Amino acid sequence: MALRAQEKRRRLTFYGAIAVALLLLPHVMPNEYWLRIYIVTGIWVMLALGLNVVAGFAGLFDLSYVAFFGIGGYTFALLSSDQLGIHLPFLVVLPVAAVLTMGVGIALGSTSLRLKGDYLAIVTLAFAQIFKLLLLNLDTPVNITGGVNGIFGFDPISIFGFKIESPVGYAYLVWLFACLVTIGSYRLKMSRLGRGWESLREDELASEAVGVDTTKMKLMAFAIGAFVAGMAGVLFASLQDSVFPNNFDFPQLVIVYCMVILGGLGNIPGVIVGAILLSILPEFLREYGAYRMMFYGLTLIVLMALRPQGILGEIGFLTKKRKRPDKDESGTLKASTDLYYKEAEAPVSKAPKVRYAKTGRIILEVKGLTQDFGGIRALDDLDFVLHEREILSIIGPNGAGKTTLFNLISGIYRPTEGHILFEERDITGLRPHEIVKLGIARTFQNLRLFNKMSVLDNAKVGRFCRTSAGPVSVLFHLPRHEREEAETQEKADEILGLFGGRLTGYRYQQAAMFLSYANRRRLEIARVLMTEPKLLLLDEPSAGMNPQETKEMTEFIKYLRDAHGYTILLIEHKLNLVRRISDRVIALDYGVKIAEGTYREVANNEKVIEAYLGRKGHGKRAGIKI
Amino acid sequence: MDLFLKELPQQLVNGLTLGGVYALIAIGYTMVYGILGMLNFAHGEIYMIGGFTGWWVLHLLSRNHHVVMNAAAVIALMIIIAMGVSAFVGVLTERFAYRPLRNAPRINLLLSALGVSIFLQNLVLNYQGAKARVFYVHSLIPESVRLIHLGPVVITLTRLIVIVVTFFLMALLSVMIKRTKAGKAMRATAQDLEMATFVGIDVDRIIVLVFIIGSALGGAAGTLVGLLFTQVDYYVGFQAGLKGFTAAVLGGIGSIPGAMLGGVLLGVAESLAVTFLPAAYKDVVAFAILIIILIIKPTGLVGERVPEKV
Repeated sequence: MALRAQEKRRRLTFYGAIAVALLLLPHVMPNEYWLRIYIVTGIWVMLALGLNVVAGFAGLFDLSYVAFFGIGGYTFALLSSDQLGIHLPFLVVLPVAAVLTMGVGIALGSTSLRLKGDYLAIVTLAFAQIFKLLLLNLDTPVNITGGVNGIFGFDPISIFGFKIESPVGYAYLVWLFACLVTIGSYRLKMSRLGRGWESLREDELASEAVGVDTTKMKLMAFAIGAFVAGMAGVLFASLQDSVFPNNFDFPQLVIVYCMVILGGLGNIPGVIVGAILLSILPEFLREYGAYRMMFYGLTLIVLMALRPQGILGEIGFLTKKRKRPDKDESGTLKASTDLYYKEAEAPVSKAPKVRYAKTGRIILEVKGLTQDFGGIRALDDLDFVLHEREILSIIGPNGAGKTTLFNLISGIYRPTEGHILFEERDITGLRPHEIVKLGIARTFQNLRLFNKMSVLDNAKVGRFCRTSAGPVSVLFHLPRHEREEAETQEKADEILGLFGGRLTGYRYQQAAMFLSYANRRRLEIARVLMTEPKLLLLDEPSAGMNPQETKEMTEFIKYLRDAHGYTILLIEHKLNLVRRISDRVIALDYGVKIAEGTYREVANNEKVIEAYLGRKGHGKRAGIKI
Repeated sequence: MDLFLKELPQQLVNGLTLGGVYALIAIGYTMVYGILGMLNFAHGEIYMIGGFTGWWVLHLLSRNHHVVMNAAAVIALMIIIAMGVSAFVGVLTERFAYRPLRNAPRINLLLSALGVSIFLQNLVLNYQGAKARVFYVHSLIPESVRLIHLGPVVITLTRLIVIVVTFFLMALLSVMIKRTKAGKAMRATAQDLEMATFVGIDVDRIIVLVFIIGSALGGAAGTLVGLLFTQVDYYVGFQAGLKGFTAAVLGGIGSIPGAMLGGVLLGVAESLAVTFLPAAYKDVVAFAILIIILIIKPTGLVGERVPEKV
């Protein structure tokens, strides 16, 4: 507790220092020139943080960002000057411009965000070009944008009677906004939205498959970025008292990107430092001004090759040292097994009482499911049903269509023909995140964790589809956000707790990629359990595990059904595991169901034996050990 | 409408010239995309460098706006040297900006490509200046053969040269891809880079080869456009790059015949658009086509959808 109070005091001191600095700085600038640079730096900070949401958080390569900046600027120019004879007050124009920009962002985003990275880049680049061409050419036949000559002479900003005309006034105004954008960035990053973005940036497909509406999240990042750029545009236009098409051109875009990259994509303090550095540095290198853009180009290349995480990313002495529980006071490592035996009282061993029994109600029904890939028929007219709280195993040789079946049920592919009914509802053709929301969650054969995210955050992403706080809730810390965050934490403690010391304790903060293979499999299961599924699709849950771990996993799967009431559809090659837990088994070969029944029935089926071991020869009868 | 029909053959010829050039640029995009799955932002700059090289060759071989040797030989030299220089720059960018990032996240590669583009553009700006360089085509092509009448169509000799050279280069590339061993290796690498490694293809060399071919064609396009529009400046690569990319996407990115088809279609579409719209909106038409294609049919005209392996 004392530690927390101390931490809080340190934080308050830090905020206080920043506040004092921001109050004093405009008055200590040596001259008007530097004061102006100070103000412009604030605008760059805003712009860079806005782009950081799009490119850093969501990983979208948006090249129309500078056009959004321009839309904000020109909106202010048109609504607050003699150009069209409209003179709206600043407090009206600012939100109007920001919302309008956001609207354009959403319109552009909703048409192009389905496209993969590079295509998005090119569509946004083309949009930025069209925008610039319009700015340049819309001075005839009716003069709207003023063409190359731009628009100038705007109404002075007046906020509740306070006129902001002096540079010092602008300094306070701009940096106030820069601070608000900073706080907003932090709040977004530390929320379900931030986790959703991070997951989709790391692995879009896995993100979608654990319930994140990736399209919506991308659009949201796009919209938030546009909103911030729009605001920055208004402030910039007012500061400059004029707007020209070449204020919002490709070089400006490159500079903002350089700031974000220099600071490290997604790293908020880094981006701020990057923006400040690149605003001030050119002033010292003015003699070499001609080489400025060349230098930016080179910066991008060199940073990407040598330090893609940015200048502030993962610097040893700046990153807080966490106390590692696997070290004792003297700093020597304890054997991990000690730790394991102390903490890993997996509840599995606490003898599950059968609380849930099979009901016989059909939960999943697959009808005539067919999937073609080019000329290959991966699944051919497959029918089966799955009852509530049943464990059904799918077996079959490689290429039998098992994983394809999972991809179809979880919505990653759309079947060529046939239907999938979940709780009597046709779910064919729904998007993966919608299917997760209905209660079907899957794991992947090759593990698709969010490797750079912590164990805790990996689990929390699974909660995305059961929470709903939007950007407004998150930005203002409304009750819904607070409640959902607390509940997410609680649920994560509960689910990760199922795995004992393997995933809890100091492991909470460990990045998923540092876990052992078996623990990664466990984490992937924990992640899907967080989505509160009714039906679990487990794709080779014991692949890569040793016999001991496999045994434990077998018990655990059984425990999930018996003690928690999940229905489980399982793909597995280890027949020992299948034999122990399956209520029923289906064997597939070349996309066709060749046998269905109890393990014993299937294992003795002629066709199954043939599929696994080849056609019977003249010698002894082949068979699978039962 | 009458005017349109009367103009049609002429605009088709103009479109074909422009389209051939777009196709040459598009091939560079499409080949790199086919193998590395990346959008080479710097390709437009390679084209621009080709244009400048062509200008320098012409400049060095001229005295008082008169070429010192046979005009046909000069044109051939311009194109060949431009191809060589562009290929060299292309290989350098691959080596230093892209190869270190081969396993990095996509956005890093794109940013690096953006960096290359800005670097090259400003390099040329700093050492060649912002003023456009003018090609003195008059010294190459005498007045008497400048215009050729083919029925209702008037075609300048430069246009004819551009058409002949572009289609010759495309035919050469097609044969090379289809018939030679290197072509086969390229197709294999484009289909599956990892598998190509396993069957003994030196993938690094193939990638370098792809950059050589793509950049050389881009450089040729730069010089040809220089001859056609008689000038080049440091900024031409940006627009040309976007056009080339549009052509590549229109045809289906990753497909070489698609890039050729897309280039020609885009050129014709632009030429026709100019008969209806003010010339300032010519580029708007091209970009609108790009956006519409990407939204309606992102796989392009001859592209195929490949399902993501899970």
